[in-house]
Amino acid sequence: MESPQTLVEMRGISKRFPGVQANDSANFTLFRGEVHALLGENGAGKTTLMNILYGLYKPDAGEIYVKGKPVQIRSPHDAISLGIGMVHQQFRLIPTHTVAENIIVGSKEIGFTLNYDAINEELSKLIKFYGWAIRPDSRIWQLSAGEKQQVELLKALYRKAEILILDEPTSVLTPQESTVLFQTLRRMASQGLGVVLISHKLDEVMGVTDRVTVMRKGKTVATKLTKETSPEELAYLMIGRQIGVIEAKKNVAPGPPLLETYDLKILDDKGLLAVKGLSIKLHSGEILGVAGVSGNGQQELVESLAGLRKVEGGKILIGGTDMTNKPPSMFIDSGVAYIPPETLRYTAAGMTVAENIILKAYKRGKFSRRFLINWKTVFNEAEKLVKTFNIVTPSLKTRAGSLSGGNIQRLVLARELALQDDIKVVIAAYPTKGLDVASTEFIQRKLAESRDKGIGVLLVSEDLEELAMLCDRIIVMYKGEIVGELVRGEFDLETIGLMMTGVKRAEARV
Amino acid sequence: MLRTVWGIRVERRLDIPRRTSAAISGLLILLSFVVASAVFEILGVNSVRTLSTIVSVFLSPSSLLQAILRGMPIGLAALGLSIAFRMNFWNIGAEGQLYMGMFAATGMVLLHAYYGAIPEQLLFITMILASFISGGLYCTLPGFLKSKLGVNEILPTLMLNYVAILFVDFLVYGPWRDPKGFSFPLSIPFPDYARMDGFFGNSSYLGLMIAIIVAALVYGLMRWTTLGFELRLVGQNVDAAKYGGVNLLKTTLIGSFLAGGLAGIGGLIIVSGLIGRLRPRASPGYGYTAIIVAFLAGLNPWLIVPAAIFFGGLLVAGEAIQATLNLPVAAVQVFQAIIFLMIIVAEFFKRYRVTFKR
Amino acid sequence: MSLEAVVWLESVLAGAVQAGTVFLIASLGEIYAERSGVLNLGMEGMMIVGAAISFIVSNALGHGFAMMAVILIGLILGLGHAFLTVTLKLNQIVVGLALTILGLGLGGLLGNAEIRKRIILALNPGVEERNLIVQEASKLPDIHIPFLKDIPVLGSMFFQQNALVYLSLILTFVMWFILFRSSFGLALRSVGENPAMADAMGINVFRIRYIAMGICGMLGALAGSYLFIGYQPFWVEGMTAGRGFISLALVILATWNPLRAVLAAYLFGGVETLQFRLQLIGVAAQLPQFLLMLPYIVTIVTLTLLSLESVKKKIGVPASLGIPYSRE
Repeated sequence: MESPQTLVEMRGISKRFPGVQANDSANFTLFRGEVHALLGENGAGKTTLMNILYGLYKPDAGEIYVKGKPVQIRSPHDAISLGIGMVHQQFRLIPTHTVAENIIVGSKEIGFTLNYDAINEELSKLIKFYGWAIRPDSRIWQLSAGEKQQVELLKALYRKAEILILDEPTSVLTPQESTVLFQTLRRMASQGLGVVLISHKLDEVMGVTDRVTVMRKGKTVATKLTKETSPEELAYLMIGRQIGVIEAKKNVAPGPPLLETYDLKILDDKGLLAVKGLSIKLHSGEILGVAGVSGNGQQELVESLAGLRKVEGGKILIGGTDMTNKPPSMFIDSGVAYIPPETLRYTAAGMTVAENIILKAYKRGKFSRRFLINWKTVFNEAEKLVKTFNIVTPSLKTRAGSLSGGNIQRLVLARELALQDDIKVVIAAYPTKGLDVASTEFIQRKLAESRDKGIGVLLVSEDLEELAMLCDRIIVMYKGEIVGELVRGEFDLETIGLMMTGVKRAEARV
Repeated sequence: MLRTVWGIRVERRLDIPRRTSAAISGLLILLSFVVASAVFEILGVNSVRTLSTIVSVFLSPSSLLQAILRGMPIGLAALGLSIAFRMNFWNIGAEGQLYMGMFAATGMVLLHAYYGAIPEQLLFITMILASFISGGLYCTLPGFLKSKLGVNEILPTLMLNYVAILFVDFLVYGPWRDPKGFSFPLSIPFPDYARMDGFFGNSSYLGLMIAIIVAALVYGLMRWTTLGFELRLVGQNVDAAKYGGVNLLKTTLIGSFLAGGLAGIGGLIIVSGLIGRLRPRASPGYGYTAIIVAFLAGLNPWLIVPAAIFFGGLLVAGEAIQATLNLPVAAVQVFQAIIFLMIIVAEFFKRYRVTFKR
Repeated sequence: MSLEAVVWLESVLAGAVQAGTVFLIASLGEIYAERSGVLNLGMEGMMIVGAAISFIVSNALGHGFAMMAVILIGLILGLGHAFLTVTLKLNQIVVGLALTILGLGLGGLLGNAEIRKRIILALNPGVEERNLIVQEASKLPDIHIPFLKDIPVLGSMFFQQNALVYLSLILTFVMWFILFRSSFGLALRSVGENPAMADAMGINVFRIRYIAMGICGMLGALAGSYLFIGYQPFWVEGMTAGRGFISLALVILATWNPLRAVLAAYLFGGVETLQFRLQLIGVAAQLPQFLLMLPYIVTIVTLTLLSLESVKKKIGVPASLGIPYSRE
């Protein structure tokens, strides 16, 4: 009897997390022998949908059918036994163990005593079939990123997966490795597997897939045959309606450059080049937006501009002074305020609200003299800031960790914007992500105010509406480079969308 | 996070009011008395007499003074630990730092006695400084390994304990042995002006004074200085500390120096107040008891001093129990351990709320 | 080399094996615990409880029952540690220290004459009067293996020892095999390196850690038992003398590998024996101290080397050591 052609069908999947509807009646089907892309911006709900398929989350509503049968997937173990395998963006491998050890651990097939000869042979056959070059007895730390990904794939293939989900697989690969990966995906499809490729990179999607499903704000917007669509159409579907050009709030002529970078090269945590020769100038009295899907080097850029990450090459100038690779304290002293993306990471959750407010300012004149902290002044100032920034907290002595997300963000803003006397530059990374409407508006207002005071604001955001509303200029980052720059009046979402997904490039004006 | 197993519901608390926290601690300490009695009874030890002996130690002035004196080395080491633990520096090496303090203090006495290098009037002060610096430096080695190389400090500090103990062994069996000591492994006895009872009569008074002054200094440091703020911040969240501009290397080194230094002063109290000279194995594990004391007191300097006195009293009681009830000192150790375990379990109840599902 | 010297050397080597077996048994247990990600600082306490229990029970009922009692109590201690650290997720350092102090205290209590008498009588009312009072117990007899015992040097080292020594060597190979050549061992090592990954692959992290700690407890107590009835059958307060902590150092020196643990254990045992023999023949008592310091210093150096990036990739501290696991 022939196996069914439809491997997976997801109907009406909805999933809500506190504050956000991640999936909203999403639908998805996967056929045997196809490579199917799941396309959308960050936060569109693609990873959530696949995590549900892989048993990491339970849907609030909807049904899942695997090979025609309705199923309940309560954990990855269920998923694995249904023949579903997932390769996440962050590898889950043990560096000191061998390839074989990483693949077979936990497998029911192998019995108590391990016969490595037989295991290695079996793995070698699989490896050869896909044309790879790894060896089962190599240690993981010896492998490149692409090879590690192959091990992750093998984990699923060894367990006879018929459905393979890959989450942004090329984010860690070199171009050559990506090519190899795509060949592998096509080979898998030809074997009758169904492959789901989660991505935001249009150029790749157009190149390797059979069908594309676009998601936006939790909904599945459309499913198309790749050969019947175009990058422009997909970008439009991804980003949504056209927004008319919004009137600028204030047209202040920008002043002298406060922050400059020249040919900045920065490595990420894995040692790969995340920022590849970036040069920008941020002027006084302007908001410069950085658009792009997160993971294209923005994080590394922003950290280096606050002194929290070393650069491999290039220069950073603040107010004309060379600050490349100087410690964070010097950046703070030269007037750089940094609103980090993961606010909890840089908040001392176990310390009080007041202490968190002076986290960076405790050495400043008004709060400490010599080596003693003047708590009275601290509490006075903190009191004022709590009012100005509307931070909801039972008292100044409450544990900072017990505040809600929005309030922690306001605390961070207060800390950065209000306490430093001569702020020159504000670097804000995804400052309104995940926040309620009131907090979002508040923060956007504060940023505009800073700009009006003559401060230079660098705003990294994935929210194109936000960028269009606030920024005087927008640059678009893709794979560590600037692929486009637009000034106010030229903001066209479709163009930006195409740049963000790597389809279009323009000469950057500095 | 919520978990339900066998009808027991476990929920992580977001914040805990001071009163509940104290109530949990108090309840569990009471429970430790109960558990200890049970253990004693099972082994055939008369728990009522044992516990009453312990209590009586604190009621008689002479044994109370003894308790205070015994508790001071523990208390000083624990004060040092309160700094270290707040910094998330797991200093298991207080014992070794005590010994290095003893070494330095004795060294100063010898310098004075054999070379006249230090005048009488300055000797005791010099001893305090020397023991502080010696203990402090000894602790900065693991501190350096942690902040520069990322080596976890637990095993290095533990290993260094043994090195220090052996080092003192070497000195006392060898070059520092008292020639008039009948071949016993002892140093020369300290002169009056180098001994703590040379000051106010009973050593306990001086000891208590030192402890209270140090407790005040530690409290002030952690609460009111920028350094204290930085130490606490590093202990809370290293990323936030870096982001706030804290120099991690410098702060870790200073913190570990202070922690070891205070333990060093504890060592001074041992040789100068308790024994009057240096001998091998002079500390019966004070450095480890200090860990219990620091935890029991919740790292609060003002609670550490009374807690240390309590444990000093337990030691005194242990000897009394040995004499009168013919029981080993170990009975007291068991009691200590049970208290410790109860405090640890209290941590769990402070972190999670446990209710029973019907 | 004179005959006397050779004989002396032989006795030192044999002594190294005898002294080292304590460390070996304890380290084997600790290796399993740490490889699964649990740091057991309570080894010292487990050891002395094992010694005390075997002291009492062998005087009451003989060696066989003593072994059974020791293993049982060790298992309970190990599982107790696991409950506090794996289920309640309390800080492993603190729990370990508490168990050590508890163990030392219990050991001291059990060694006390009165208490001992009471327990022995309770176990075996008809026991000999003598057994109630003596500070010692009968030592495990040496088992000489014919033919092999006559091999020069190696003969006295390995083939004229008591049953527990042979057991320790067998255990070494069995535990090495299980750790590196069985699926259980692979699962255990994976839990210690990346519990999240192991969990995702279907392994029950909590169960593995409980099993590892159970084994560690049993072997820790067994090591203490060997210390008494296999090595020094006269009761002295605090007779473990830090051997439990030294075993922790040993595990690091052996880079968490049972086979290397044998070498390290006998090395430490050799140092101990040497120091003892040197004292006997009157060599200055100072030298031994610096010799004894060596193991501790080497441990620190090893730890430092292990934290270098280049080394960390190849052999290393099990990545999740000391960190409780929760599925969040």
